[in-house]
Formats: sequence, C-alpha cells, structure tokens
Amino acid sequence: MSKQIKFESYREMPIRPMTLDNMLWNETGSWRNVKPVYDNKVSPCILGCPAGENIQHYIQLVIDKKYKEAWETIIESNPMPAATGRVCSHPCMGKCTRGDYDEAVNINAIESALGDMGLDNPGWMRESEKAKKKKVAVIGSGPAGLSAAFYLARGGYSVTLYESEKALGGVLRWGIPEYRLPNCVLDRVIESILNSGPISVKAETVVGKDIKLKELEDSFDAVFIGVGLMESRKLGIPNEDCEGVESGLEYLKRVNSGDNLDSSKKTVVIGGGNTAMDVARSALRKGSDVTVVYRRTQAEMPAIASEIEEAEKEGVNFRFLAAPKEIVAEGGKLSKVIFQEMELGEPDESGRRRPVPLEGKTFTMEVGRLFTAIGEKADLDGFVPEIDTEWDLIKVSGEFGETNSKNIFAGGDIVTGAASVVEAVAAGRKAAEKIIRIFIGEADPPKQEETEFGIENINVDYFTKSNRTLKPRISVEEAKNGFEEIFRGFDEQLLQKEVDRCFSCGVCNYCDNCWVYCPDAAIVRKDDRYEIDYDYCKGCLVCVEECPRSALSIEEEGK
Amino acid sequence: MKKVVMGNHAVSYGVRASEVKVISAYPITPQTHVVELLSELVANGEIDAKFIKVESEHSAMAACVGASAAGSRAFTATSSQGLLLMTEMLHWAVGARLPIVLTNVNRAIGPPWSIWTDQNDSLSMRDVGWIQIYCESNQETQDAIPQAFKIAEEVNLPVMLVLDAFFLSHTYEIVDLLETEQVRDFLPPYNPEIKLDTNDPHSFGNLASPDYYMELRYMIEEAMNDARSVIKRVGKEFGEHFGRYYDMVVPYRCDDADVILVTSGTVASTTRAVIDEMRDEGIKIGALKIRVFRPFPFKEVSDILCSTKKVAVLDRNISFGNHGVFYQEVKSALYGKTDIPIIGYVLGLGGRDVTPKVIREIADKAIKDKNPEPYINWIGVKR
Repeated sequence: MSKQIKFESYREMPIRPMTLDNMLWNETGSWRNVKPVYDNKVSPCILGCPAGENIQHYIQLVIDKKYKEAWETIIESNPMPAATGRVCSHPCMGKCTRGDYDEAVNINAIESALGDMGLDNPGWMRESEKAKKKKVAVIGSGPAGLSAAFYLARGGYSVTLYESEKALGGVLRWGIPEYRLPNCVLDRVIESILNSGPISVKAETVVGKDIKLKELEDSFDAVFIGVGLMESRKLGIPNEDCEGVESGLEYLKRVNSGDNLDSSKKTVVIGGGNTAMDVARSALRKGSDVTVVYRRTQAEMPAIASEIEEAEKEGVNFRFLAAPKEIVAEGGKLSKVIFQEMELGEPDESGRRRPVPLEGKTFTMEVGRLFTAIGEKADLDGFVPEIDTEWDLIKVSGEFGETNSKNIFAGGDIVTGAASVVEAVAAGRKAAEKIIRIFIGEADPPKQEETEFGIENINVDYFTKSNRTLKPRISVEEAKNGFEEIFRGFDEQLLQKEVDRCFSCGVCNYCDNCWVYCPDAAIVRKDDRYEIDYDYCKGCLVCVEECPRSALSIEEEGK
Repeated sequence: MKKVVMGNHAVSYGVRASEVKVISAYPITPQTHVVELLSELVANGEIDAKFIKVESEHSAMAACVGASAAGSRAFTATSSQGLLLMTEMLHWAVGARLPIVLTNVNRAIGPPWSIWTDQNDSLSMRDVGWIQIYCESNQETQDAIPQAFKIAEEVNLPVMLVLDAFFLSHTYEIVDLLETEQVRDFLPPYNPEIKLDTNDPHSFGNLASPDYYMELRYMIEEAMNDARSVIKRVGKEFGEHFGRYYDMVVPYRCDDADVILVTSGTVASTTRAVIDEMRDEGIKIGALKIRVFRPFPFKEVSDILCSTKKVAVLDRNISFGNHGVFYQEVKSALYGKTDIPIIGYVLGLGGRDVTPKVIREIADKAIKDKNPEPYINWIGVKR
C-alpha cells in the first residue's frame, strides 16, 4: 500500500544517516525523505458488492444522520435497497474487514433500514432527467429488468416494461416467500421504481408469443432482456411426472399468490439452494413434515447460511449425501421415493466435491409430496434463433450485457444462470448505463482499481470490540406458524449503533486523528478534507501511523 | 626532530603532521596555546588547511561537522566549559558518523571558576559516543593525533584526546616531533565514499522513523566494539613506524601484585614512582593505567585485575551520587569475575596536587582497607 523503503537489516542501511534519494527537490535539505499523502482506497465492502454500492460512504452519511444522502448513495447503484436489504446474500459482509476483528458490520440491515426510509419518503426520489426521444423495451420485471428500467427512466428515456405475469417483480414476487420479503414491501419497491420516470408497463405479455422480439427491436432504440430462469430443472428419473411431484418454484408461486394448499403430507424437497430452503420453510408453514434431501453435505450447500440455520431452527429435517433414484407411483400418484446414497469425490469445476453414488446403497422413503429445487433453466423460445445462446443461456460479450444483436442487451439469471438478486440488479444497471452511453456517444468508464485491504491496514487500537447489531426478529415459534416477516428493520437507535462499528476502511472520515497527532501542526483542516503543508512536514509519518484506517499512504521523496 | 615543547604545542605539531584540512577552534584557558600555534602554522603555510574562526565552541564543532561531512579531515581543541557548550554538536558528530578529532584539555567545571585540572568535563561526555583516550605525556599527546585520525576514519566515529591542564598542557618536555612525510605512510589521505556533494545532493542526518533509528544506534555501538581491535592494531602499527607502541591499558609491575592501583592521565606516572618505592620496600603492589576509556577495555582490565587481591581506583573526578567514574567502570568490568575488594578514592579535583606522598597515603590505606567503604573515600578533604 505504501511505497516506503524497507530495510530488512541494518547491514542494508548506509553507514551515515542520510537520504538515499537525491535532494534536488529541496536544495536546502529536509528532514523528510518520505512524505504522507491522503490517498483514499476503495473499501473492501464496496469491492464485495456485485452492484458496487458505495457502502463505506453511505454508512458515514448515516453517522452524520444524513439519511437522505445515504439513501441517494445506494440508489446510485441499486434501486431497491428495501428488497436487497431483506434478501441479499450480502457478499459485502464477507469482505468486511471488521469480520477479521470481531464481527462484520451488519451492512444488510443498514441497507434495509435505509431502503425502508426511502419507501417512507417518496419525496427523496429525484425527478428523472429531461425526457429524451429514445425509448427502450425491457423484458422481464424481476430485479434485472426493474433495475434496467429504473436507470433508463431516471436518465429520461421512455421504458416499456414487458412482464408475462399480471403482477410485477419476477423472482422477487414468485420465488421469495413473504416471511423474507413481504408482498406489501415489494409492491412499494416496485411502485417507487415505476414512479421514478417514464416507465409504462405491459403486463401479461409474453415476448415471443404476444409480441415478437423483432417487433420490439424495430420499434425501440434498444432492448434489454432480463427474464430470469422460469423453468425448473427436471430430476430425470422414472415417474417424475406423476401426481405429487412438483417444481418447487411453481409451489412457491402458488403460495405467494395466496393459493391455499394441503401440505399435511410428508414432504421432501430435493436440492440445497435458496429455492430449496424457501420451499421447505413454506411447506413447513403449511403444516407439513419437511425433509430436505441434498446430494452433498451442508458445507457444499449453495443456500445462504442464515437461511439454512433458520430452516433448521424451524424444524426442517435434512438428509445429506442422497439423491432420488426412482419415484414409485401407485395409481398415478406418488407413494415412495428410492434414494441413492452418495459420497464426496474429487472437486468439480465449481470447486465443491463431486457427489459420487455409493454402489448398491439405496433407501426408500414414504413421501406424500416431492418438490424439486435442483435449479432452474431458461425459457429461450422467444429469443432464439435471433439471439446467440450458450449452455442454454443468453450469450453476452463484455461486462455490460451486449448480445450478438446490436441493440439488444441481456442481464441477470438469463445470462449467468442461477445467481443472486444483487447480481441481477447490477447487470440491469450496467446494461442501462451502457445503453445510455451508446445513445449519447460516451466512452466506457475506466475499470475500478482494486486495492488490497485487510485487518493489517486497520489500527485496531482505536476500536473497541463489539458484537454485530442484529435485526429484531419474531420468535421461531411465531415465525413457523405463518408467513409474517421474520426480521424487522433497525430503528434509528439500532441503526446508529451499528453504523458506528464501521472502520471506514481506507477512506478518510475526518476523525481528526492526523490533525491531533501531527507534531508540527502541518495538517490543515479544510471544510471537507485535510491538506498537508509540506513546508512544515518533517516526514515523521505519525499521521500515517495514527490514521485508524490507512487513509494516508507514504510516498518516497525525490522519486 | 626532538624539541622541548609544552603539551599544548605537542598537540599542534601532531595536527601539523596529520595533514588536517580544516581547523575550527575557539580559544579557552588552558587550551589556548593549541589554537594559537595552529593558527600560526596555517598562516605561515606549514599546515595546508582552512582555519575557520568562530564565535563559540558550539560553532567550532558545527564547522568541523560540516567539513568532515564534506570529506575533509577536521580538528578542534577545547576545554571544560567549551566542551560543555559543544555538547549538542558532539552528539551530532557521533550520529552522523564523522571522524573528527578533538583534543580536550581537562579543566574543572565552574562555578566556582577553576582553570585547573580534573576529568569531570570529558567524563561527563562518556555516553555521547566519542572514543576517549587519556594521555600521560607530551610525547603521547602528539603521537595520539595521527593515531586518532586513523582510528576515527576506519570506524567512522570521532575521537576525543584528553590531557591534564597544566600538568601536561603547560609543562615542557622533550618531544620527538613527527614529520609530515613520515606520517603520510602511516596515515593515508582521507577520502570517504559518502560525502556532501553538490552534484548529487543528499540530506544528511534527516529524520529516521522508529523503524530505523535503533538500527543506526546499533551500528554506532558496533563501531565502538570494532574500535577495540582497531585501536590496538593502530597503536602497534604506530610503534612499527615510530618505535613508540600504544595499547588500551598500561600495566606496571602487576604480575605478582597483591594490590593494584588503577589510574589515568598524569597521575599514572606519579603512581609508577610510588610503586617503585614500595616495591623496593618489598611491598607487592602494581599499577594499571587505563589509556582508552571509550570503548572501555573490559577484557584487558579484568584479565589484569582478576589476578590480584585488592584493587584501588584513583578518580580525579566525581560522579555525584555514585563514586568516581573510573571506579564505576572498573567495578562493572569485574562484575561476576572476582570477589576481591574494589575500593574507590576521589582525589585531586580542581587541580589539587596529586603528589607521590598523596599516592603513597592511598596505597598504604588501600593495603589496610578490608572492604570497600559504603561511602566515597575522599582524599585530602578538610573535614
């Protein structure tokens, strides 16, 4: 991080104490051979967020109680913090430096609180830019489509949003149970996005059936495809189509749309991802005895760890290292499932150990209802052959979702395969920004430089250890008896308590430590920054040493 | 060429023979003659050097620091209050690793004003990092100068040569004067690798962070340790060139001695006369002169003193609150090596005469004294 010379041994040092570098930069001589410079880094949380939310910055704004500015900072990268604050897998927290000290800052909860404030204050949303002539079709109203529509409309471009269902939201509505993301919250999120600019909605319109892609291409200046993955993968075993075997996604959709359903039978869910957890916990809430069967072990489960934990607490059973081999049907109805026992073999391309069948070892379970949640696949009917595909997904070149067709862009699960909401949000925004740049003839911005930052760059003496502030929650008992939202948002007090834990990694937050410690009063406070008066700086680097967060770097003089 | 000269002038002639390039000094009693003769020798062209007149001893040493950093052989002389005024620059010369040579004429510190000898001025500089050599005769004060430059330039530490006020500075003795041409073979010209250079300017003595300061201090201590063997070797080489050999310490009739008197400076020669007298009486007594005080000759001192039964240390100085300085040093050299009594005597402060009678008195007392007194043995104080 710094460019300071390091001597490993006194033997490498000159016999006389002297600068190694030429002093032509200061011909009267100086005490200084290295100098401190203010040099903000990119905090690891920001690099960890697929959407690139300026987390460090909005947390510091929250500390100053500038809630509107904090919310606006999120909105620059993500139009739905109230949703992601509830459902995001928060990779930012995995990168949080504080995680190597005590516990990562609860960024997810902070985002959720700010997202809710934004919903409560519709006036915070700025007017979209002056209306432009160009218009864009966005296909799909899931996280990718909503995000693309938002950033296009905000820029003044008319958006027509095509959705095959009646209600908007895509996977947010159909794939995520209400106890994680209540429909009333989602409705407000969608409303805020639709109100942000010139967006018109064409619901219950299937592209490829009700309207052709070619027509959209002809009548719009650009098209964004963000339809997600609509079809569940099949198990590919005998009797899969019998009554009682259902796609987990279809089930979730029915639960979310309020269909009542008898799940009083023994239920088995196949899979280890978030959909499997959502299905299992929804079925449990409908009164069923639920077992999740996964072909690897818990360590390899792709579901968010806290979701697995909650499922266990609520009473979902787990059976690891087993995969369905055959479904036994009686009179066209599911009665039993024969499972193959597995063991873990060599790691596969995902890095996880591959499940390998244990020869001759099977077991049979009486099953009343079997849900498959082993992944979803794309329905590409409306887009081929015009759009190139690869591995049954839309093929894009570059990071902005460019397809083989000049004005058609794609993003979200339809491009990446099953990924996270926040990745879809990011893809929608990036494609929208790219489309706008093409419209106005602007070059792509330079890629963000990644800096290495870790706990060793934090002066931990300045921080007291503290536990992460958790979202208030309803009890497990209450939770499993209905679809009430389990986790509640932070009030202002909890919010302030948690933001106070942020290290502000690598970014000056005007803590005044440098200013206090500088022995030569060489640091000058300006309104929004510090300056170093190098006429007074002796290069002692006390400021660098005492900066709690490595917002200062060292530069060698005369180089 | 042999000549009868005063101690101060012996110093000046030693400087002449060493081809010093910069002399910067401020006159002070009893050192004045050193500077006076040097200015004459520079004026009449016998020394090809720049003589820099300054307004204080602090400036004198500062000028030497600059000259030495620029790659010139530099010399100064001072005494007592002058040395104390130099203190900041004395530290600088060490930290900057500059091979400056300074002659200090030992003079008691005021108030009350005194112009007479004792060692408190130079010994109060014991922790600064200068090599310190205590001279006993006018010949030695001259001979020490080229040796001092040779040692200093090899280990990159400054050297302080010390002589007693009046007993040496103003006393005339026959001195075999060194010729510049002869000395040139012994002491090559000074041409350091690192020096101030306007074509490639570097900052000298710039700030070192806590990451590196200690290493630079370690290097000074390492140089001090290296100096032990360098001093011995240079003393031997000097002997090979000029027939007069010098070492860290000078033992006298110590081999079978039951009591050894430890001395330094001019008291050493007086003591030797007393030793001879007592040996004639059949008393097994010896003397050990400590010539090099820094680096302290721990090994030499302990090797010699461990073979005796009692040690008496004669200090012409006082470290208020903890005996004489040589007494402390000798005790520390013998720590853990012997159980024999080590007794300290403080004498001759402010130039009070240390005659053979005084030494004999101490020797007789030392033979009787069984254990070290818990208090200081003050010699000749009117109580």
